[in-house]
Amino acid sequence: MSRPRPRWTTTTGHVTGIALLFVAAGMFASAIIEAASGTDGQAMILASVLTALPGVTLWLWTRPGSLDRATVFTAVAGTWLVVSAFGALPYLLAGTFQRGEIGPLEVLADAIFESVSGFSCTGSTVFGSHNLIADQGPGILIYRQFTQWIGGMGIVLLVVTVLPALRASGLGLIGAEAPGEGGDRLAPRMAQTARRFWYVYVGLTALITTALLAAGMTPFDAVAHAFTTASTGGFSTRDSSIGYWDSVAVEMVIMIGLLMGGANFTLHSRSISSRRPVHMKDAEFRSYIWLLTGATLVVTVLLMDDGMGMTRALRSAAFNVVTLGTSGGFGNATGPGSNGDFVRWAAGPQLVLLLLLVSGGCTGSTSGGVKVMRLTVGISHARRTLRSIRHPRAVLPVRHGSGTLAEPLVERIAGFMVVYGMLVVSGTLVVAALGTDLVTALGGVIGSLGNMGPALNKAGPTASFVDGFTAPARTVLALLMLIGRLELFPMLLMLVTPYRALQDGVRSPHS
Amino acid sequence: MATGTTRRPWASWTATTAWSVSASLLLVGGLAVLAGLVDLIDTGADTPTLLTAGSGMCIAGVLLYARVERPDNTRPADILAATTLAMTLAILLVAAIYLLTGAAQRPDDALFEATTGITTTAMSVLDPAILGDGMRFLRAGTQWAGGFAALLVGIVILPFFGFGREFADRSRSGGYHPLAPDEWSATRNIAKLYVPGTILIWIGYALAGKGPFDALLLAMSTISTGGFTNSPDEFADASVQWVAILGMFLAGSSMVTLWHLIVGRGGLHRQTGLMLYLGMHIAGALLLMLWSTGDGMDSVRQTLFVVAASVSTTGFPMRIPHGWGAAAPVLLLLLVSIGAMSGSAGGGLQIRQHRALMKLAVREMARQLHPRAVLKVRLAGRVAGENTLRQIVVLQFLFVAVVFGTAFLVAIFGLDLSSSLSAAVHATATAGPVRALDGSLVDPGTWSRPVRLALLPAMIFGRLSIYPAVVALASLLNLLRSKTRLRRRYRARVHGRNL
Repeated sequence: MSRPRPRWTTTTGHVTGIALLFVAAGMFASAIIEAASGTDGQAMILASVLTALPGVTLWLWTRPGSLDRATVFTAVAGTWLVVSAFGALPYLLAGTFQRGEIGPLEVLADAIFESVSGFSCTGSTVFGSHNLIADQGPGILIYRQFTQWIGGMGIVLLVVTVLPALRASGLGLIGAEAPGEGGDRLAPRMAQTARRFWYVYVGLTALITTALLAAGMTPFDAVAHAFTTASTGGFSTRDSSIGYWDSVAVEMVIMIGLLMGGANFTLHSRSISSRRPVHMKDAEFRSYIWLLTGATLVVTVLLMDDGMGMTRALRSAAFNVVTLGTSGGFGNATGPGSNGDFVRWAAGPQLVLLLLLVSGGCTGSTSGGVKVMRLTVGISHARRTLRSIRHPRAVLPVRHGSGTLAEPLVERIAGFMVVYGMLVVSGTLVVAALGTDLVTALGGVIGSLGNMGPALNKAGPTASFVDGFTAPARTVLALLMLIGRLELFPMLLMLVTPYRALQDGVRSPHS
Repeated sequence: MATGTTRRPWASWTATTAWSVSASLLLVGGLAVLAGLVDLIDTGADTPTLLTAGSGMCIAGVLLYARVERPDNTRPADILAATTLAMTLAILLVAAIYLLTGAAQRPDDALFEATTGITTTAMSVLDPAILGDGMRFLRAGTQWAGGFAALLVGIVILPFFGFGREFADRSRSGGYHPLAPDEWSATRNIAKLYVPGTILIWIGYALAGKGPFDALLLAMSTISTGGFTNSPDEFADASVQWVAILGMFLAGSSMVTLWHLIVGRGGLHRQTGLMLYLGMHIAGALLLMLWSTGDGMDSVRQTLFVVAASVSTTGFPMRIPHGWGAAAPVLLLLLVSIGAMSGSAGGGLQIRQHRALMKLAVREMARQLHPRAVLKVRLAGRVAGENTLRQIVVLQFLFVAVVFGTAFLVAIFGLDLSSSLSAAVHATATAGPVRALDGSLVDPGTWSRPVRLALLPAMIFGRLSIYPAVVALASLLNLLRSKTRLRRRYRARVHGRNL
């Protein structure tokens, strides 16, 4: 009788292994598309093999253990880092970012930037006039879209769907990866909850694909854009993004898709199970819709004041407000200086967009940013504090919708805002120190932390991040994208477990 | 039985409103009288106007003060609202004097100059060269009074009636004399530091070669972190620059810390806030030198000057004669928004608030790992109350909101994005002239009138550390709302009778 194979107990390794297998599968599927009509098929197959090998090894040689909070953070952040690094392999092996004038380090930085921007659903890109998207094969393009689709719902959430052994620890993992304050249970088991989220996500993607086909896109473009609309990612298969089609119908589908992607998926799921929409009963969703409507109106008025016609102003305002307010990051500019090129707008509307870069969508959605719920709670918290100055002895709760929030949650949100503010300030200073002007640096940092996509000034919707930022600055932005995608703390605290292990090793070297 | 003739005490908000009106009348009136007398040294052209207006204000102020019956209980919110009212009224009165004397030709110019004076924001639209000595004294005097008011807000009004009660320096433990055992003693003690500080800097400027009158005006602008100057080449001389650097450093230091050092409560090494403040100067200067291309002693001095003007939020102008990296304006904006020490005349969000926010951030990270742990935040040797920490977080939130709102307004009125952000930060931090991205100073006179007017509320909010202004605004809104309710009730009653 053969002895069972010894397995190393490491949840981080196990989760990472399975995540790599999913990514390798996506690479392989893209490689088949590339092999059919492109030139980089072999490189992409090699990339998928190189990704699958460590994935299989980790999957077979490790087993998940119990998780404390520090280990959860290490597992989630570690998985994202490893997946992002391996996700750059197709670009590297296919020579996507190889240009005559740049060295291998910058090529590596570009590949990692594109990979991180994909998985974190940021949508910032290093493609541009120097390296056109139009010159890429279909495999690379669909792989790029796939990275956003898989990253939108969450790599770890995907892993949890096939990993029932995690039991209660799954909630911790999902919570650490999920946008917003903790994850909602939709079913008694975490794996079931995760699956239900994925069903809704796949359904939404299918719905958007159908609508985009009806709006006039080719099947390839429709699937590709559905991937990045449902995930509020923002990558496109065209250099001028959605502006390529210059179609109201396509823009409308994208906007509705982004609005759905930026809403809480629990609401979608509950609406499906109860067969009636429950969205408007949710205070956060109502605020989200009000915020986007108000911003659209303000930007429209300001654009009209600046001389743009009403229809054009409304179209440009609505699209850009929705795409930035949901952290989508698509552009409807048909070229530099066109109506949709918001960096050429006056400063007033750009400041509204900057506010939207901060706010993001709802908790439990695929969007980034601070989240509308945190903002509304922040405002409610500020109102409570001001009232407490006027009425020092009054007991004043913080309200959200019709309910009252527990004080620890309010403190957690306040703490999040403080850390977020510090990251914005320090990030802007670092990026500026690496050779970027104030507005581009500020827009880039807020956009990266909020996984938004285009930034302001030199990194607008028709520009490449290569134009606005140096290679080291882009690397900093990539790190900020991951920090933002995981809601700050997992990335900031991911080294606690290794540090503790190292300390234990130093204290008891013989144990 | 006879009822007697004792007068009933006034309601809290009525009394505080009357006090604030009276205080602003007395303050501006007193300044105008002094300026009128100073003008006699010069041509005396403005003396009659200044003396008449000033004495009128003083008399009105005294009469009003004498009529107020002290309320039984003064509500903290009323005091905060009254502080805002006093500052706003003082601004209006100074603007009226500018118009009466003809120093400013237009009401909006007068209002802008008065606001930048009282709020100690060094943005000026008047040319001091065409003003008489009296008006120049009044202009510097508004900053000096504004700086003193800022100290009162930071050390007395906010800790006693607003937030951060635990940081009010009132403990007599160990036999030491606190700076602020009560409201009146605190005011006296602050004056004991503020007036000698002014004289010290005055002597410094005089020794550096400035004429006595110019040195006095410059000293008044320095100690108050005001930043008004008498001529464009005010700081051409190296020795004047060194005095200004030291003066600005002193003005941005906490009066509580200086008091502790004077009365021997703890050595220099125990003053963490002061060390951080010094560290900001050194780190800022080093980074700025790293990001610029100048070298030599002149460059070091000028860099130190720019950093001191930013950190203390004085805003004395100094052109950067050499290369200017992209990160330099970002660094200066950051220094300006961090600002000076709490308990100083400087603006910005201030160092203690930033220390609290950093400690809160660290605590939040620790809480992520240990959600049930009870973790306290210590500041200035004391455990900060949860309520105070909450208020500091909200203060940060409000600061950003004021900056963003102001930037949006000035952007609508025509400034570009980077200038809007920069102008909004400078106005809210009461920090003075805005720098363009290439480091050059922007003359506010080149901005449109709506842009200048849009910056004024931010200056007032910033000078009052935001809370008093917000409380005043809330009180005003509540008043309007209650009036509306009264009307509704009246209408409902009339409607009911008709039915």
